[in-house]
Amino acid sequence: MHEKSPLLTAEKRDRIGSRYAARDRAKGRLPAIVYGHGREPLPITLDTKQALTLITKGEKVFRLDFPGHKEADEMQMVLLKDLQFDYLGTNIVHADFARVDLNERVRTRVHINLIGDAKGLKQAGAILVHPNLEIEIECRVVDLPDGIELNVAELDLGQMITAGQVKLPRDDMKLVTDSHAVVAQVVLGGVTKTAEEETAAAGTAAEPEVITAKKPEEGAAKTAGKADAKPDAKAAGGDAKKK
Amino acid sequence: MAMMPKRVKFRKEQRRVRPRKATKGNYVAFGDYGLQALDGAWVAARQLEAGRVAAQHFLKREGKLYIRVFPDKPISKKPLETRMGTGKAEVEYWAARVKPGTILFEIAGVPEATAKRALVRVAMKMPIRCRFVGRRIAV
Repeated sequence: MHEKSPLLTAEKRDRIGSRYAARDRAKGRLPAIVYGHGREPLPITLDTKQALTLITKGEKVFRLDFPGHKEADEMQMVLLKDLQFDYLGTNIVHADFARVDLNERVRTRVHINLIGDAKGLKQAGAILVHPNLEIEIECRVVDLPDGIELNVAELDLGQMITAGQVKLPRDDMKLVTDSHAVVAQVVLGGVTKTAEEETAAAGTAAEPEVITAKKPEEGAAKTAGKADAKPDAKAAGGDAKKK
Repeated sequence: MAMMPKRVKFRKEQRRVRPRKATKGNYVAFGDYGLQALDGAWVAARQLEAGRVAAQHFLKREGKLYIRVFPDKPISKKPLETRMGTGKAEVEYWAARVKPGTILFEIAGVPEATAKRALVRVAMKMPIRCRFVGRRIAV
């Protein structure tokens, strides 16, 4: 077992479904699931307080302990795969874990910690944007880093660092994210056009263009067509009646 | 002039039922901090514009402001003292459909305290309860 990995005390869930999961949450338990390695998925609950403390710290690999089950295979190494939030994003309502071996290669997202003040930020209105502060890497579970440090001190206005330029801690680690994805960039932020300027530039009217609106010519032609057709029909009807 | 679509398929639209809870656009995606709606509403384009002006006036060209919603719903209203009937009224304004949880505005490139003060000013212009949020824990 990996001694550094934090221990999570888990209990098996006998009854699954949203109703029972809500009851577990009310009792201070966090519903979760463990899957992978060709075995049946196992619904479990964790102590919410303990789990959230570790997850918010940035821990990814855990040891799952099932008290009362003394079998050796009950202690499992798991990797945090997904978190579900409530609609406001305030609380974590469910967690996904995948069974892993310590020497197994896994794909996971790692946070990038930006170090230093970028050179370009001295210019007025310049800001540092970081569209992708997490990159996906493939590595062994034992080598999984807590975060990757990236020095942005030399970054000037208009310059950027892409995912491909980030130095991974070990050579056997492989970048999965698109290597062209921008991690950090210094741009001029404050200059944004007002709605009036945008409207004036686009030359749009006060009302939007209606795609399905009938053109005046077509409409006129149709009206004329109907006017022509009506007397004929009437005439035909009149003839029929006469006959 | 406030925001509105450039091209639409139909001039007028039915009111429709407002679904509960936002399932998309409910987390901070572009900036560092955001303003999250706690109620559902049709937020008018002029209200969004007022929020944008308030934030940019406070930020003074610092940071970057993102507006995460767009007013693409035409709201029609009959003139005062008009009898009912004679067809649907003309479009009065454009509104964004906002559900509880939707992120309305985001700010990047400024410290948390500055972002909070800017977004509090924006919240004053909104017709609904809002709160200041940061980024979610990423896995």
